[in-house]
Amino acid sequence: MEAYIFNLLNLIAIYGILAVSLNFIIGYAGIYSLAHAVFFGLGAYTSAWVGLNVTPSTFVTIPAAMLVAAIVSLVLALPALRVRGEYFVAASLGLQVIAVTVFSEWKSFTGGIGGVLAIPPVNLFGAEIYQPREFAIVSVIALLIVIAITLALVRSSFGRNLRAIRDSESAAASFGKNVPLIKTVAVVISAALAAVAGALYASFISFINVESFMLDTSVLLMAMVIIGGTGTFLGPLVGAALLLILPSAISYLSFLPQTEIGALQQIIYGLGMTLLMIFRPGGIVGRRSGT
Amino acid sequence: MLALQLAVTGLQTGALYALTAVGFSLIFGSTRIFHFAHGATFAIAAYFFYFVFQAGFGTVPAILGASAGAIAFGLLIYWLVYVPVQRHEGSFFTVFVASFGVGIAVQNLLGMVFGRGFVTVNTSLSRSSEILPGLYVAPLAWVAIACAIVFLGALHLFLRHTHTGMALRALSDNPELVRIFGLSPQRISAIVFVIGSVLVVPAAIITSATTGLNPAIGHHVMLISLAASIVGGIGSVYGTLLAGLILGLAESMALLFVASQWTEAVTFAILFAFILIRPSGLLGRATAH
Repeated sequence: MEAYIFNLLNLIAIYGILAVSLNFIIGYAGIYSLAHAVFFGLGAYTSAWVGLNVTPSTFVTIPAAMLVAAIVSLVLALPALRVRGEYFVAASLGLQVIAVTVFSEWKSFTGGIGGVLAIPPVNLFGAEIYQPREFAIVSVIALLIVIAITLALVRSSFGRNLRAIRDSESAAASFGKNVPLIKTVAVVISAALAAVAGALYASFISFINVESFMLDTSVLLMAMVIIGGTGTFLGPLVGAALLLILPSAISYLSFLPQTEIGALQQIIYGLGMTLLMIFRPGGIVGRRSGT
Repeated sequence: MLALQLAVTGLQTGALYALTAVGFSLIFGSTRIFHFAHGATFAIAAYFFYFVFQAGFGTVPAILGASAGAIAFGLLIYWLVYVPVQRHEGSFFTVFVASFGVGIAVQNLLGMVFGRGFVTVNTSLSRSSEILPGLYVAPLAWVAIACAIVFLGALHLFLRHTHTGMALRALSDNPELVRIFGLSPQRISAIVFVIGSVLVVPAAIITSATTGLNPAIGHHVMLISLAASIVGGIGSVYGTLLAGLILGLAESMALLFVASQWTEAVTFAILFAFILIRPSGLLGRATAH
């Protein structure tokens, strides 16, 4: 039971990092990405590859993961500079679909469908951390650092520029803001932070394959941000915790066959998203009036 | 010969893509509702057809069942979800998320009711015969192409030559003016949803008899419809039609150059390129905003 609780806590921390970093571009820059799982995956694969082939030290694997995700995220920044709204959603969907194909076919790097096995655990100054209880300290600290970084950014002049762009791009541009640069930096930061979650995930589970990084994950992450409340500080965390606790809560309903739990979870969060949009578009934590 | 075979298969796929994508494009173009649950309409129609057909009621009742399911879902989601969402704000994103949520729920409900595996409807029409040396075509391919011509032709006549069709085109230009003329934008929107949902039915039925169904099919259909609407130009029904055909052909012809697991990536590479280079699409008039 104790191991179970700490496992859940670790997952909440990892998905919390993903939700917070996704909220950074959805809530503050108005960039609705359905490709966040791509950067989660890139971080996981890169840190696994570095951990297996170069050094298991976490002080190398995480920066490497962030670097690769940041570079690839320029591909996502490109459409974000050109288009908004439905066009960007479509572009990010396209990127997600292409990435899943690449993840399943590039066998030397990702292991294909079979995935990567025996990924070394988190290694801090030579000490290996793989017990769920000890790992929870690492993952929660990582989550706190990510929250601190995004909060600092949001409250800085950079954050104000972002919100200005979200509300009116042309107004921000007419005030002399370098809109393309600010948007690109936001996407790059968000992707690099998602890669941190990927690296932690790979070393915690020690096995990864493409199934963790498909469109379903991107949708789940978006659901976390939206249900919690876009553009709020607590929203993504509340959303992540809620949607991860949901499956175990449902499994207490003993009359349900085990195989239907996943489906029921998705039905609940699907309808939850719809009902929230009708009655409370700002999310659980959000302001009452709109995103 | 391989190229010709792929072209024919591509044309069949393209005809089905055109039918579903035009439905989506019509809804989005005239009501500005980003109807992401369009794929769910497709899945509902296909599974209703499968259910009634397998129960032994015959083809015609199955087609009626599929149509009834699609229309009912289209109208329900319009009245129960989109109208309330648009009442207080209705930004693009709010509508999208609400629609997305319904799509997820429908996909999983279908999975719980009908199972998550692949199912196919077996008919004599899906058996291929050799019409030229080395060229195999199933009669359903002709049915698909004929359906596309008949349904899209009827849509063209409806949009051009009936009062409702004109009102519908007017809605996309200026909803306020429609109201001033004493017409109800909500009534017209409901009609648009009926038409868009009906257009999906032939594609859903033919797909259930050719490549087969699983509950996640709605997702694939939605991605293709979205891609075709953008490549064709959002708001342009004819552009979407053309783009649906092109994407179907491209997906099939790509097999000449890449392995089959890359075909979906080819479709989205085309979409990605269009968004970067020409967001207004092939025949679009509205530019990206």
